[in-house]
Amino acid sequence: MKGLFKSKPRTPVDIVRQTRDLLIYADRSPDSRESKREEKMAELCKNIRELKSMLYGNSESEPVSEACAQLTQEFFRENTLRLLITCLPKLNLEARKDATQVVANLQRQQVHSRLIASDYLEANLDLMDILIAGYENTDMALHYGAMLRECIRHQTVARYVLESEHMKKFYDYIQLPNFDIAADAAATFKELLTRHKSTVAEFLSKNYDWFFAEYNSKLLESTNYITRRQAIKDAKLLGDILLDRSNSAVMTRYVSSRDNLRILMNLLRLFAANQNKPPDIVSILVANKSKLLRLFADFKTDKADEQFEADKAQVVKEIAALQL
Amino acid sequence: MKPLMAYEQEGHYHHPKVQFPLDSDSYKIVDEIGIGVSAIVYKAECIPLNSTTVAIKSIDLDQFKVDFDNIRRETKIMTLLSHPNILNAHCSFTVGRRLWVVMPFMSGGSLQSIISSSFPDGLSEQCIATVLKETLNALSYLHNQGHLHRDIKAGNILMDSNGSVKLADFGVSASVYESSSGYGSGSSTSSSPMMLTDMTGTPYWMAPEVIHSHTGYSFKADIWSFGITALELAHGRPPLSHLPPSKSLIMKITKRFRFSDYEDSINKGKSKKFSKAFKDMVASCLDQDPSKRPSTDKLLRHPFFKSSKGSDFLVKHVLHGLPRVEERFRVSKILRKNDVDDDDEDDVEGESGSELVKQRRISGWNFNEDGFELDPVFPTESRDDSLVKQVRFGGETIILEKGTSESSLNLNSPEAESSLVCSTTTPPCEEQQTENTFNAETMVGGLMALKKSLDDQRQKVSELINLFGGEVMNKEDQMVQLIEKLRMELETERQKNFELEMELEFLKFQISGASYTDEND
Repeated sequence: MKGLFKSKPRTPVDIVRQTRDLLIYADRSPDSRESKREEKMAELCKNIRELKSMLYGNSESEPVSEACAQLTQEFFRENTLRLLITCLPKLNLEARKDATQVVANLQRQQVHSRLIASDYLEANLDLMDILIAGYENTDMALHYGAMLRECIRHQTVARYVLESEHMKKFYDYIQLPNFDIAADAAATFKELLTRHKSTVAEFLSKNYDWFFAEYNSKLLESTNYITRRQAIKDAKLLGDILLDRSNSAVMTRYVSSRDNLRILMNLLRLFAANQNKPPDIVSILVANKSKLLRLFADFKTDKADEQFEADKAQVVKEIAALQL
Repeated sequence: MKPLMAYEQEGHYHHPKVQFPLDSDSYKIVDEIGIGVSAIVYKAECIPLNSTTVAIKSIDLDQFKVDFDNIRRETKIMTLLSHPNILNAHCSFTVGRRLWVVMPFMSGGSLQSIISSSFPDGLSEQCIATVLKETLNALSYLHNQGHLHRDIKAGNILMDSNGSVKLADFGVSASVYESSSGYGSGSSTSSSPMMLTDMTGTPYWMAPEVIHSHTGYSFKADIWSFGITALELAHGRPPLSHLPPSKSLIMKITKRFRFSDYEDSINKGKSKKFSKAFKDMVASCLDQDPSKRPSTDKLLRHPFFKSSKGSDFLVKHVLHGLPRVEERFRVSKILRKNDVDDDDEDDVEGESGSELVKQRRISGWNFNEDGFELDPVFPTESRDDSLVKQVRFGGETIILEKGTSESSLNLNSPEAESSLVCSTTTPPCEEQQTENTFNAETMVGGLMALKKSLDDQRQKVSELINLFGGEVMNKEDQMVQLIEKLRMELETERQKNFELEMELEFLKFQISGASYTDEND
């Protein structure tokens, strides 16, 4: 036993290697005797916990940056992350949570002032497919979702996800009946659309049509109140992106679509009719009052449309009257 | 020493989880068992799962207080925690504009509800040790996971019919791993990790560094609240709770208030004898210096917890003869209504307002070990540079039931008497106590039955009226709802008013302090 004979403490590299060996074992189909397997799985969980303590520190010690760097380097030197992700369903709840925190932390660790996690993921982008599909698995969704959000901190990873077919699935994930999972997917969706502005601009200009069609019909007009409310909040973020100079082309396109403006106006009218106005939304509208008014003022329809103009006037009046 | 490994032996391997349905039609609401500013808690049955009894916390998402991210964090934590002393959520889903969080039903209700209903002068030391040890197990698990609970109090400790104890309500809990302050993009170490800076919790239980500190707080803030909870269980309410968070509070503060009823009751010779171990345990939790407070793991080894018993003990000494949680809720609701009728400002505040906002400026706390009391130290000079911080109530602070503490004393006077006897933990008295309880019990039982039959009859009459097209009941219900809504609004206004007054008082302090310095110069 450790401690009894004061054996040499294991180095970070030792722990990563041992973890990897145990993951390889766990990954194989359970042909060996059950008792032995249980023991090894327990050891694996213990190792993951130790990795976590090293990266985050514990009640007795702060993390040591040199140890963290060694750990990170060894971790990404081989395919440990893939093993950890694929074996995650075989771990117990506590180990899953530890593993998620380890993966999260590793994304931020620099080795020789390089984020080597980014390099690794760039070569293993298919891991994102596994993580995203996790939203369809109740047991894994929150763990994989948290990992995914950390991975898309890297721009190349975010670009991969944005441009993948998965992007469309997010509209469904956000509306899953399970609140935890839907909320997690919404958080990831928002992160994807806000973290890397230039990538988002590029994505929006290429995928304009379907993206906004879905955003309008599935989120802004969802039957689910929370989805709708969250979508309005996120639309503010989207608005910021659209108003960003790098996105001016997309913005012009968005607001020059009468359908889009109609939806926006209907939402604002619904909102104005709601006696119990959520203050977070009021504050967003108030903060963007002048921007919105400018937007509407600049907006001209090609043909004269009385109903449209009347709606517009109404909404402009309501926005102008809003205050905290 | 590796405290992180302490609970590993329990090995929470994933046993197949029962899937609870994610639609409201699958649940039949049986009774209301708790109410708060933006949430109601129901007792309900899950029809497809053999009508398993559950508790449903229904959160109004339109309420201004509700912060979406807080709710998401709460439900996520409740989903991902797994410990015998922690109340998990079965599932959560939205129902219109409300979020339903489905949880196991804890038939004993909260310890706060239990003491206010049947032990107004507090529980016996053995009961306290038992309850607190279970709570501490939960807290230890939470802390080792990197979570702070941030709202430890008797109202958040629940008991089941088998005497098992669970810590609940993660509405304000936080994770030091997820704390946004700790991580910048890469260069994270400058701001202190493992520290939180925003202010959350329920004031009576709040640690001084949570109220004051500019450097942040961490796990030890929960230890403080744990100490306050110990006092709450011992005395029947938390220290200082006799002070309403209303206008009169400011008067009391500026006058360096006297300790009124709470201290009186102690000085009138009713004072209970507490063991040295208990006093020592509480004192260690209430150390001014967070770093001197023990960790959960150290606290678990404190001699006081050697006197803790099993869950059977709690069944026998706490749950036995206790009115059902829904009945207690009904009683507390009636009392609340009476309070409103009385139009006694302080009473109303002391009750429903207690879950809203209480804030005060206190420069420190002195734990008075002899009186087993907490004495606040108020700033004597306005040079105290700390800003008046706003007490923020993230999420909701209620679960299951919150009763009155003062008023229930009046109503259940027979019971109050009997539990007075109970609190003097000497064996001969205990026998006598069971007799007394029996009388009170049958009395209450009889009254409850009578009330129920009256309710039934009322229900039938109203059904008949409705059948013939009358709308008497509906109107009345509407009125009740309207009154409830107006009451909430009033509370909010009152709270705002109070905040402003505090602000004003503080500014006055500053001005007078400034002019004082000027004169001196």
